[in-house]
Amino acid sequence: MDHFEGINFSEMWTGIDAAPGYLKPVVKIATGGTTGSSLAICGYHNIASGIYDKVLVVGWEKLNEGGATTGIITAFDPVWERPSLAGALGPLALMAGMYSAKYGITPEQAAKVTVKNRSNAANNPFAHLQMPDITIDYVMSSQVISYPLRLHDCCPQSEGACALIYANEKEAKKITDTPAWFHAVETAHYYTFGTDDKMYDLPTATIASKKAYKRAGIKNPLRDLDVAEIYEPTSWSELSWTEALGFCKPGEGGKLLDEGITQMSGELPVNPSGGVLSTNPIGATALVRVAEAAIQIMDRGGKRQVPDVEKALAMGFGGSLWTEVMILGNEPLR
Amino acid sequence: MKKLSKRRKSNEEIFEIKWKTDLPYRYSIGKLAVKFFEELKEHRKIMGSKCKKCGKVHFPPRAVCADCLVKMTVDDMVELPPKGTLEGFTVVNYPFTDPSTGGIRPFPYGYGLFKLDGADTYTMHFVNETDVTKMKIGQRVEAVFNDKLIGDFTADIPYFNIIKEEK
Repeated sequence: MDHFEGINFSEMWTGIDAAPGYLKPVVKIATGGTTGSSLAICGYHNIASGIYDKVLVVGWEKLNEGGATTGIITAFDPVWERPSLAGALGPLALMAGMYSAKYGITPEQAAKVTVKNRSNAANNPFAHLQMPDITIDYVMSSQVISYPLRLHDCCPQSEGACALIYANEKEAKKITDTPAWFHAVETAHYYTFGTDDKMYDLPTATIASKKAYKRAGIKNPLRDLDVAEIYEPTSWSELSWTEALGFCKPGEGGKLLDEGITQMSGELPVNPSGGVLSTNPIGATALVRVAEAAIQIMDRGGKRQVPDVEKALAMGFGGSLWTEVMILGNEPLR
Repeated sequence: MKKLSKRRKSNEEIFEIKWKTDLPYRYSIGKLAVKFFEELKEHRKIMGSKCKKCGKVHFPPRAVCADCLVKMTVDDMVELPPKGTLEGFTVVNYPFTDPSTGGIRPFPYGYGLFKLDGADTYTMHFVNETDVTKMKIGQRVEAVFNDKLIGDFTADIPYFNIIKEEK
């Protein structure tokens, strides 16, 4: 993303040289936090429409050289919003406080999300923050960044890239015996102005997931999905997003976690990769969700593999509170 | 446990280039916001906009009601009291470059979402409090006006104060 990297037309640096795009039709897509999932969905449309046989989709970010918080502020209204808005974490802190006030979610429950995801990350060789021995006390004694968010309630700033090969049915069979198949892609945003939103939940995740479930024939997401890779920028967000995605009822995200359902051994493991709380190269982050969902379907997850995955959900989330949901399966959807 | 790696090693030399440059740009704020600033500067009033169709009162004033896609004009603007109720808050406690100044934004600072009495949308602005133990959703807040008004939102109303009053 140009305004995060501080480089204009960043595709000139990456699309041609680093990703082998020379003499090929390079398209650059940047939609903030959802960049990776927008890339994933556009890759799908390029193949599903029959325009291309094979597409390479690349997401990347080099946050060390830019200023993401500064860049994010410039996405908002210069008169009414920019003066007090503090990048992504300020609004996420407001959301966490309002969510916890509405449903009685506790800081301990939020800390448990970080413990779950960063210990999962220890099984993922690509994860940035791998913390196999992390404890709830460690999270809850870290510095308050923006109340109620503590340092370890927040995703890190990472550098990284992610690439996926898309192919049509004929080409896919030449590449692998176990491809992951797209069953549904959905985008939902209803943003008009920041202060119109309720802020204690994520309605776009509900809208997008309901449409995706219908298309993919999923009646009960908790039962029918085998794994979910969701875009949780903070620990509190994961609890709220699991509600919005219909894994439980509104206000029950904490209970879902407490019952162990989203743990690696649970009925629906959420973020076996360690999630965004462990690794966050923004332009790649949502694409990593799709890649990890595909890895689970293809049974290539190594120590983070969930057994017998047939259906996986991947989610992207972005600054204007929009959501993209994708369902992948081990067989084509007929 | 693996510790967070430091962003820069202490012995690493940082090469820094400083210069000053003007980057002027124009931003068309729209007729309703122009009216807002005129009323603020001349009459110390806070004006929102009210949808003719559904009656939703928007502050900041919006030119189109997002719920019914109905256009609003300056004739649809209504005065709002400088008081409201806190709906969400935080205290920002981390450094970052403010794109409006090019410098580090002073921190810690409190800011929140509140609804002005009679408004249906949130207003986001600074709240003059950095102790979260003194902040609570549902508290009453009141705009603090600068003595001299120049028609600039944050200069004329630098922040809201938490006040002790029942709604």
